Amino acid sequence: MRLLLVEDELDIRSFLQRSLEETGYQVEAAADGKTAESLALEGIYDILIVDLGLPDQDGISLILKLRQLGVSAPVLILSARRSVDDRVRGLEQGGDDYLTKPFALAELLARLRNLLKRNSPPGNESTRLRVLDLELDLLRREATRSGQVLQLTTQEFVLLEYLCRNAGRVVTRSMILDKVWGMRIQPDTNVVDVHIYRLRGKVDGKGQQPLIRTLRGVGYVLKDR
Amino acid sequence: MSSKIAKPIMHSAAWRISLWATLAFACGTMLVFVFLHRFVADDIQRRSDAWLSGEVEVLGDVAERTPKDAVYGRVVGEVAELAAKEVPNKLLSESSKNDSVFFLQTGRDGAPKLWVGAGRGDANLRAIQAAGILPGSPTDIKVQGFDIPFRVASTRIDDGTLIYLGLSERDELRVLRSLRLRFILLWLLLVLLGFGIVFYTTRRMLSHVRQITEAASRIGHSDLNARVPTTKRSDEVGHLALTLNHMLDRIESSMHQLHTITDSLAHDLRSPLTAIRGKLEMSLSAGVLPEQVEPIVSAIDELDRLDDFLNKSLDVAEAKADALRLTRSEIDLDDLLRSMIDLYEPSMSERGLQIGLRSAGPLKISADPSLIHRMIANLFDNELKHLPAACKVTIDLRSEDNAAVLLLQDDGPGFDPQVLPHLFEGRVKGKDSLGHGLGLAFIDAVARAHGGTVTASNRETGGAQLALTLPLVFNTTLDRTESARSGSLRGSSGLPR
Repeated sequence: MRLLLVEDELDIRSFLQRSLEETGYQVEAAADGKTAESLALEGIYDILIVDLGLPDQDGISLILKLRQLGVSAPVLILSARRSVDDRVRGLEQGGDDYLTKPFALAELLARLRNLLKRNSPPGNESTRLRVLDLELDLLRREATRSGQVLQLTTQEFVLLEYLCRNAGRVVTRSMILDKVWGMRIQPDTNVVDVHIYRLRGKVDGKGQQPLIRTLRGVGYVLKDR
Repeated sequence: MSSKIAKPIMHSAAWRISLWATLAFACGTMLVFVFLHRFVADDIQRRSDAWLSGEVEVLGDVAERTPKDAVYGRVVGEVAELAAKEVPNKLLSESSKNDSVFFLQTGRDGAPKLWVGAGRGDANLRAIQAAGILPGSPTDIKVQGFDIPFRVASTRIDDGTLIYLGLSERDELRVLRSLRLRFILLWLLLVLLGFGIVFYTTRRMLSHVRQITEAASRIGHSDLNARVPTTKRSDEVGHLALTLNHMLDRIESSMHQLHTITDSLAHDLRSPLTAIRGKLEMSLSAGVLPEQVEPIVSAIDELDRLDDFLNKSLDVAEAKADALRLTRSEIDLDDLLRSMIDLYEPSMSERGLQIGLRSAGPLKISADPSLIHRMIANLFDNELKHLPAACKVTIDLRSEDNAAVLLLQDDGPGFDPQVLPHLFEGRVKGKDSLGHGLGLAFIDAVARAHGGTVTASNRETGGAQLALTLPLVFNTTLDRTESARSGSLRGSSGLPR
């Protein structure tokens, strides 16, 4: 996957480039709009990350210019601004996404994956999810582990489904709040953790391999191997 | 806006102004007419008096010179008849029967000697004698059998007899009556026309003022880009609109400046936060020693708390300047509270707390979802952090007078009475409180930005109570202009911020 990163802050650019490369992206980085333009026209990219506050031009103007020049790859917009610009919202409706700084790397990666998935032809949406010996029947809203039916509440099922869809990848608390509860909030209490503990108590029975892992300071991951 | 149209026209200023103006106009013209009427009446009286005096002199002269023989009666009678035909103000059509003039001659003893006129003249004589008319000055008398009084002039001739000439005031009164009738008709017409003109012009002028008011209130709610409508005329209303627009320009520019400051502050702090957070995360994933994990994790937590603090501080600062930017959409508070309770319930029961919701069903408001979500999460976080075990939190949601009322009560220790009056000022927190003490100030800021209120109190039965009101779906014109604006923004590109 070829990725163009447009970010003027050296610190952010370098750590993003490093972690994106570790994840498996081929990253080209630009520090301003001019460089980004010439890079985008020379090479073909699968996805772009564009910071809104560039030194030579506005991030949105750059995106619109690139669109006019025929660059159709999805864009993840990074913004350190306070309010979400109407134009960002417009771009969001056009299929791009935005993320406010500071962000968790896991969330950035999840959003990139989502954007790439949106752009690829839709595969067969399965009605069953399977991770190791954990199986979810999405039609009957039923989860089983090693053939044993798990007694989950509706909300717990949605949470587990979200973890399964991202099996093997880290999800953060704010991602869970956004996707499972539909809220972009930052509670300063451990509300999400308690839900995860409860779910873990039901999913990871005695003597079974623990599936739900906590990565301290980062988030949670549902192990897939 | 619909409420303004439905308002009865009688309550409008235009109606009151035209009513008073018309009243003044009507009184003024009426006063002028009264004077005119008196003048005309006096003048007519003066003319008929002059005629009467002249005629009675002539008749007296004739009576003196005519020999007192058999033809005397006829001669004087005919002269009197002739005189009657020259009555001033007389209607021509009634010439055939003359009852408007009488002539009477009485002897020294007061007995009638000669009578010319309608009827027998007895009643006239009685009335004349009762009035005690003196020669020289015409006097009004009321004669039995006649509705309208007579004006009578008299003269004494040489032989000591008295001659009376009476003229009915009928014609004079008719002239005056027709004058009055015409005037009243004309006056009514004028007053109605005047009312119409005044009402129309003031209404037109005031409708412009109303447009200005509506636009200004709309601007006060949300839309600082809008301006009040202006006219080309340079009258007071035009000046008002221009002045308001100048004021709005200044407000918008200082608001813009405030936004620039908060934006750049946020930007300048968030960029290093992002870099630090990223580096910390990378060092975590790079495989550090187990004893190094804890400090890194807590540093990340601190960074997130710092970011939250930054956001809330700026939100509170902007809200205090009435400059918090809202992106409204429809929110069902009932639904939101249920998912919020669903989210918080496990943590609460973990701590031995109970939480319950009493709600009458869906309650939709038009508000900024992100802010409302954060505000409610803040309320819940507060309870979670401050309540001792085994307490119960109840939330009542209902609608009251076009507002959603959210009442949050607990049976905990309540607010510290010393802190209570300053609870929403920010940076205030109880002795044992964790956090930065911005929570309630933020709740207040969000409520105010949405046109709502929040009040805190201690219940009499013990425990704290927070009452939050938020207006329900607002004014349709507001939403229409807002959606029109965002629509136009979405459609165009490269618009300056």
